[in-house]
Amino acid sequence: MLILPCRPPTRLALLARRLFHDQRWPGWQVVIGIETHAQIHSRQKLFSNSLTSGLGEAPNTHVSPFDAAFPGTLPILNQNCVDLALRTAIALNSKIQTRSSFDRKHYFYSDLPAGYQITQHYTPIALEGHLHIPNRDSPIRIKQIQLEQDTAKSTFDPHTRTSNIDLNRAGTGLLEIVTEPDLRSPEEAGAYVRVLQAMLRAIGASDGNMEAASTHLSTSDGSLRCDVNVSVNLVGQPSGTRCEIKNLNSVKFMQAAIIFEVHRQRALLSEQDAIVPQETRGFNHDTFETFKMRSKEEAPDYRYMPDPNLGVLFIAPERIKHTEQTMPELPWVTRVRLLETYKLSEQDADTLLNLGSGQEHLDGGAIAYFDRLCKDRNPRVVFNWMVHELLGRLNTARLTFADNPLPSSQLGELADLVDSGAITGTSGKLLLREMLADPASSKTPTERASSLSLLVHDGLDLDALCAAAIAALPSEAMAFRNGHKNVLNKILGWVMRETRGKADSSQVRERLVALLRQGEGP
Amino acid sequence: MRVDVARLCTRRLSSWRPAKDATVNAFVCAAPPAAPTPAHLPLHNVSVGVKDMICTSDMPTTSSSAMLRDFTPPFDATVVRLLREAGADIVGKLNCDEFGMGSLNVHSVHGPVVNPFQAASDSAPWVDREKRSAGGSSGGSAAAVAAGMCDAALSTDTGGSTRLPASYCGVVGLKPSYGLISRWGVISFADSLDCVGIMAPSVARTKHIFDTLNVPDPKDPTSAPEAARHEAASRAARAWPSAALSALRIGVPHEYFPAELSAAVAAPVRAALARLRAHGATLVPVSLPATPYALGAYYVLSSAEASSNLARYSGVHFGLQVPAPAGTAPGTTASTYARTRTAGFGAEVQKRVLLGAYALTADAFDNYFLQAQRVRRLVRADFARVFRAGADAPGDGVDVLLHPSAMRTAPRLHGSEADTDGLDTYVQDVLTVPASLAGLPALSVPLPVEGDDGWPVGVSVVGPWGAEGVVLRVGEFLEEVR
Repeated sequence: MLILPCRPPTRLALLARRLFHDQRWPGWQVVIGIETHAQIHSRQKLFSNSLTSGLGEAPNTHVSPFDAAFPGTLPILNQNCVDLALRTAIALNSKIQTRSSFDRKHYFYSDLPAGYQITQHYTPIALEGHLHIPNRDSPIRIKQIQLEQDTAKSTFDPHTRTSNIDLNRAGTGLLEIVTEPDLRSPEEAGAYVRVLQAMLRAIGASDGNMEAASTHLSTSDGSLRCDVNVSVNLVGQPSGTRCEIKNLNSVKFMQAAIIFEVHRQRALLSEQDAIVPQETRGFNHDTFETFKMRSKEEAPDYRYMPDPNLGVLFIAPERIKHTEQTMPELPWVTRVRLLETYKLSEQDADTLLNLGSGQEHLDGGAIAYFDRLCKDRNPRVVFNWMVHELLGRLNTARLTFADNPLPSSQLGELADLVDSGAITGTSGKLLLREMLADPASSKTPTERASSLSLLVHDGLDLDALCAAAIAALPSEAMAFRNGHKNVLNKILGWVMRETRGKADSSQVRERLVALLRQGEGP
Repeated sequence: MRVDVARLCTRRLSSWRPAKDATVNAFVCAAPPAAPTPAHLPLHNVSVGVKDMICTSDMPTTSSSAMLRDFTPPFDATVVRLLREAGADIVGKLNCDEFGMGSLNVHSVHGPVVNPFQAASDSAPWVDREKRSAGGSSGGSAAAVAAGMCDAALSTDTGGSTRLPASYCGVVGLKPSYGLISRWGVISFADSLDCVGIMAPSVARTKHIFDTLNVPDPKDPTSAPEAARHEAASRAARAWPSAALSALRIGVPHEYFPAELSAAVAAPVRAALARLRAHGATLVPVSLPATPYALGAYYVLSSAEASSNLARYSGVHFGLQVPAPAGTAPGTTASTYARTRTAGFGAEVQKRVLLGAYALTADAFDNYFLQAQRVRRLVRADFARVFRAGADAPGDGVDVLLHPSAMRTAPRLHGSEADTDGLDTYVQDVLTVPASLAGLPALSVPLPVEGDDGWPVGVSVVGPWGAEGVVLRVGEFLEEVR
């Protein structure tokens, strides 16, 4: 039994406590490291000027002779990909290497036209970073970040018994981000990938799409894929032998694979003298089980060789400085800003952050949209309009925020109309519905409100209406005067009905209270 | 598009420069007659042959390999484009060793190249002359120029593939500084060593072609920027401001005159050195101590890079694909690759791919590849110590080095000298690989034919990086003081 000291618990103690309390495998420690391959969000490929492509494009349409490894072609490094790698390195607090270089990793497969993949094996572009994840004090250490090429995609058609090769993806830039074996549970692994994903999106380095791909037959369509190293050991014992599970393309699959692997390795170790053989394993999406792909002995020798064409990649200090100065806001910084500047609740801040920041939209991402709305407005009011009203309507229509057709200026004008009392809240919701139904209209929200007769008329005589209401409902007026405050709503409802909702309910309420108090006499 | 190269080219060739090539076998494809170019262009009326490792969009580019026998590239190499833009007439594609691997031009799917030279002592009709090698790997380029079938030829040079055949055939051959001439469209043998070379009957014509091709190319990541070229050229000019023979300091490296050097080579080279000294040049004995290790390092590095560069020839995306024998299952990816690569690569290529793949395995990498890289740095340092225009410029340094281009004159194609597979053929590169490892300009200039043998002998002029102006000027002196 571990005796905790009186001072705040140390990291080790916290760790130990967490370990002892994992009811799924009491007494066991799980050690996880993750290699993430994120497709770089760049218009052109890493070493050729052919365009990158998304899902669903016609096969073999974005291919240059270099991508097909035609003899005589040479690589030219895409500096845009380097810039995005630098942003990623800065976001992960890594040490950018002023000199890095490229190496060839050799293996023969039909989805690798050159017979080698250009990667950064010996000297990666960045080393020694870290990333904080929720519900954990110590950060996850990042071992290295390297630039490399994606492969082509090969699909097997069982009917014709032929393999088809699509070179659209061949040579697309990837960021390989490697952690130290710092993760201790499937939940931490999931949290790490989610934080990484949000960060890559926020800085524009990658789409970070994982889940989109999980319904496809192919296991390698997503722009974010993970290889996960898992080992288990009894607490207090040295680390176990790790197994690598390849090509996990959703957080759900990754967590399922880790859980399966922990149970499998525990079972192996529980047998007498049993050991876990070092293996590379795959994950079956249907059975949620991992399976052996190859043993350590069968591991290929990749015959790494420095690429003789690409030389040294020098990163000048000025370039690092410039990248630091032009970094987009990181999600964890945005979160603090939403909480502190706009006083949003944690839940509301996370809702906004999850709306896909950094994704392309006519008006920037959701955060930028919200920032613009907040200018000279009450953040909580505009949050309500943006999330509950606008996003609610979009979701009802099975759309996401990325599909939002309304510029922030229009939603802002709508919020202002309601806030100034020019239209009522009820009318505001009606107006929003109309705006979404015809977003291309050239009319301003005010013009629309006017043509829909939603504007609260200046000529509306609230005092007269309220007096009429009191006269029409004498017993309710009496009840209010006798202290039954709730009955006011009934009188209010009479006014709203009479004005078909155009009256401002809070103003009406104010007038009614004043008139009823007057009636009480001195 | 797939073209029956053999049929197409035979037909064209038969109507062009008849008979001459029949006993040389320099051309593997002849271009259709070109439209006349404007007379004001610098290479107007200059006919240029192109080594078959350099891509042409209008002719197949085979690298003399069964693997690319029907391969027509979708683009012109930058050097071909530059020649066309300068008005040159690209007359055809020239035979070579498969993927540039060889020193005798006998490892070719198109058959060996026969040296067009005939010694004065040989009284047989020219077609029945003594059959000797044209040298390799750019044997076709050297032979075509020597036989007068074109005014100049493009070659490549990875470890001597331009200078050796130039020496055997009696023509001028320039391997420029690494990075000056674009490699875009040049089929890679070993990227860190490959250079486009130029062959011509005279230094002046060699320079003419070189000046056309000596421009930076954004498509080649190893292309030297304009500023580096300018800096190197002006440093060389400052070191030898008068450009006069009387002010020239010539280094004579004793490691390049080993005991094995044949007398047929040693005598004319010493005579040439003596003539230069008689005309005022200063001869300076120098030492390049890393030279004996250069050959081994070269074969490790060039084979390692070749094994990597040749991994793309799988038959999946282009080139030869050997189907499974009729009636058998298609098999695995690996068996498909093995079938194609076994059939597509010749014995010499297979040998070097295996050697190179071994040097890159995890167990051998440190002892072979990294060790060879260390030797390469030592070779570079040797050169840097002797040139007065170099970065380490010693005050008593030399402007150029002079040494024999080859250990011997052209070997016979048949008989005991035709040992094409033994280590002996690799040893022929011993004098040429150091400049390749160091990326320096090296020019082989033919010397007056003399002695018992009566076959051509070349002398090499090697200068600091980017000093082509100096190297070519010294080449002209060699022509003048005959």
